[in-house]
Amino acid sequence: MTKVGSAVGGFFRAIGNFFGEFFTAIAKGDWAVKLSLIIWGAGYAKRRQYVKAILMTLLEVGVILFSVYFASQYVPKFGTLGTVQFAQEFNIETMQMENNDYDHSFLILLFSLFSFVVWAVAAVVWIRNVVHAYQLQLDAEAGRHINTFKEDCMEYLGDKFHITLLTPPIIGIVIFTVIPILLLIFVAFTNYDQQHMPPNSLFTWVGFENFKSLFSNGGMTVTFGYAFVRVLGWTLVWAFFATFTTYFGGILMSLLLNSKKTRAPRLWRTLLVITIAVPQFVSLLLVRNFFSNGGIVNTICANIGLTGWLRSIGLISTSYIPFLTAPGWAHVMIILINIWIGVPYQMLIATGILMNLPTDQLESARVDGANKVQTFRYITMPYMLQVTAPTLVTDFVKNINNFNVIFLLTDGVYTTTNQLMANSQAKEVDLLVTWLFNLTQNYYNYKMAAVIGIVVFLVCAIFTLVAFNFLIKGDKEGVYQ
Amino acid sequence: MKDKKLGSIISHNVLIAVLCFIWLIPIVWLVCMSFSARPNMNTSTFFPQEWSTQYYKQLFQPDTVNQFPAWFMNTFKIAIATCIISTCFTLMVAYATSFGKFKARKPLMNVAVMLNLFPGVLTMIAVYFTLRTFGLTNSHIGLTLVYSASSGLGYLICKGFFDTVPRALCEAARLDGCNEARIFAQIVIPTSRPIIVYTIISSFLTPWMDFVFAKMILNAGISSQYTVAVGLYRMLDKSLINSYFTIFCCGGILVSIPIAVLFFIMQKFYVEGITAGAVKG
Repeated sequence: MTKVGSAVGGFFRAIGNFFGEFFTAIAKGDWAVKLSLIIWGAGYAKRRQYVKAILMTLLEVGVILFSVYFASQYVPKFGTLGTVQFAQEFNIETMQMENNDYDHSFLILLFSLFSFVVWAVAAVVWIRNVVHAYQLQLDAEAGRHINTFKEDCMEYLGDKFHITLLTPPIIGIVIFTVIPILLLIFVAFTNYDQQHMPPNSLFTWVGFENFKSLFSNGGMTVTFGYAFVRVLGWTLVWAFFATFTTYFGGILMSLLLNSKKTRAPRLWRTLLVITIAVPQFVSLLLVRNFFSNGGIVNTICANIGLTGWLRSIGLISTSYIPFLTAPGWAHVMIILINIWIGVPYQMLIATGILMNLPTDQLESARVDGANKVQTFRYITMPYMLQVTAPTLVTDFVKNINNFNVIFLLTDGVYTTTNQLMANSQAKEVDLLVTWLFNLTQNYYNYKMAAVIGIVVFLVCAIFTLVAFNFLIKGDKEGVYQ
Repeated sequence: MKDKKLGSIISHNVLIAVLCFIWLIPIVWLVCMSFSARPNMNTSTFFPQEWSTQYYKQLFQPDTVNQFPAWFMNTFKIAIATCIISTCFTLMVAYATSFGKFKARKPLMNVAVMLNLFPGVLTMIAVYFTLRTFGLTNSHIGLTLVYSASSGLGYLICKGFFDTVPRALCEAARLDGCNEARIFAQIVIPTSRPIIVYTIISSFLTPWMDFVFAKMILNAGISSQYTVAVGLYRMLDKSLINSYFTIFCCGGILVSIPIAVLFFIMQKFYVEGITAGAVKG
């Protein structure tokens, strides 16, 4: 597992090196190296690497053309996100209504961002290019062999093979993960919502307004502060219970199945795994109808008198048990249903780890007369914790973002009766991510969704940092030795 | 004494049987419901009052709502494309981070950890805008890109396996004049069959299991474009559930069978991969 904490130091060192090499190259390079600051291919041309020189110069021309013809349309408007409102004007010549030359705020934001990324990459290429040119100069001065173009290409299957391998995946990640994340961070500082939807109207920068409205109560109509505290609370409670119930449930289940007393363990294991082999959208949608207000479980409960009894002690006021439709009930049911789909999964992992449990420890414990509970408490559990602590942390983060379980169980079924929650389009059973999803899909409130997204990231990042730096370090030196 | 031991074995197994029984109730209900002779949900008894296979037949007769054969083919096509791209990307990143000795290796891996902390749903919204700008929403190409383009971030399990491939083998090949590309293609890939099978199956399963992204991208409401997940989800709309619940169950079962088979093949490798990575820390 990678430590997030130790990353920071190494990261800054790497940046230092990166620029150090660049400045050395400029200071000590000959005229060709210095010229390659302006004409990228110059350094290569001097060392007779003509193909490379042409390619680099063409790349440079490409970047310049991109800047002049594409980026120049959008980047200058980045500061205002556009000023010309969409309008239709009557054109006397064609006798038709025509759209004016309006600004599209979202495209300005997106393409500006895209241009920034392109320029950032170009800057890195530019710097590396100068460093390479200087390297070539050193090689030439020392009389070392200068690669031909073919040899250079072959390097990308040899010593530089990692570059060949990493480039396509990284391009994918940049376009489909990095740019969207940056875009969202920018949107959090704008007023992009249903009243400001391009192309019909513009949106603009508003600074920290959205963050303020998330953390404060703006009266009766805007209640994001009220809803946020509750949704965040439930998200953390959910993540805690979902992680630990399935974790310990999985360990207990796997101990139970792997016990010497079990007959046909493979059969039982297969039966349990069937429940997770069915895709979640089938199993969860099914369970949601299984427990619906007029569903089969309610019929059975009514028949055996459970519903009547619950009503008589005042736990419910309806003629059915609101398993997934009332706060409290729904919260408990969601956690229980999550145990249903989560335990077999954890059981599989726990089984794999328990197979590696050092048997000599168990033996000596048995010789010393430890009973089963003691063995579990002092040997099995510490071992499990030590091995699975990193996955426990990642599971917690995954559960904070566990969209499927909550969405499939409650979307379209659960409606909140709390007006303050409803005003900010939240429900008591929403996680931050499902709230965010609803805000964008049904209410087009992108600015608040973006702010919530940033909060989710911060919660996850802080938790991961703290957990990795304290919990796991402590555990490693810890009890099990 | 012997009786006591027998008793404990029996109670132990009975406990397991009870647990398995509880765990399987919804699945059994799904199977029973799919053989019901009524289109809507049976709420009065656990087992359907009349049994029939007519809704399996109806599943294959497309109407305005139900396009199961088309959904199945759509998902299959997307799954194949996703599988090819994702498997390549994952293996490429895993090999580079496991075998590569370049300076940016550690920083890149740390950036990957950071990026993985952002919820997928969150980036999804921005991805949706981007795709819409390029006219790729409501297209299977767009959906495939969403599933596969960032797959390089999920390299950790695969890397954990590559870390266990003996380095001596590669060193020997290097001395014989093999370049990295040949080591990758002719030594590492053939010795890593389990993790490759795992990667292939898991990326193939993504489009079958996913629901959110498909719903978001294919939002124009053209039924024949849907994937299985979106299509089946729509059958349970409040206005449709009474006439399509049994068909939903049939579809759910038919799509679960191949997935379950693949899942059973995969889970063995998954456990190996996870534990191999975890034990090493």
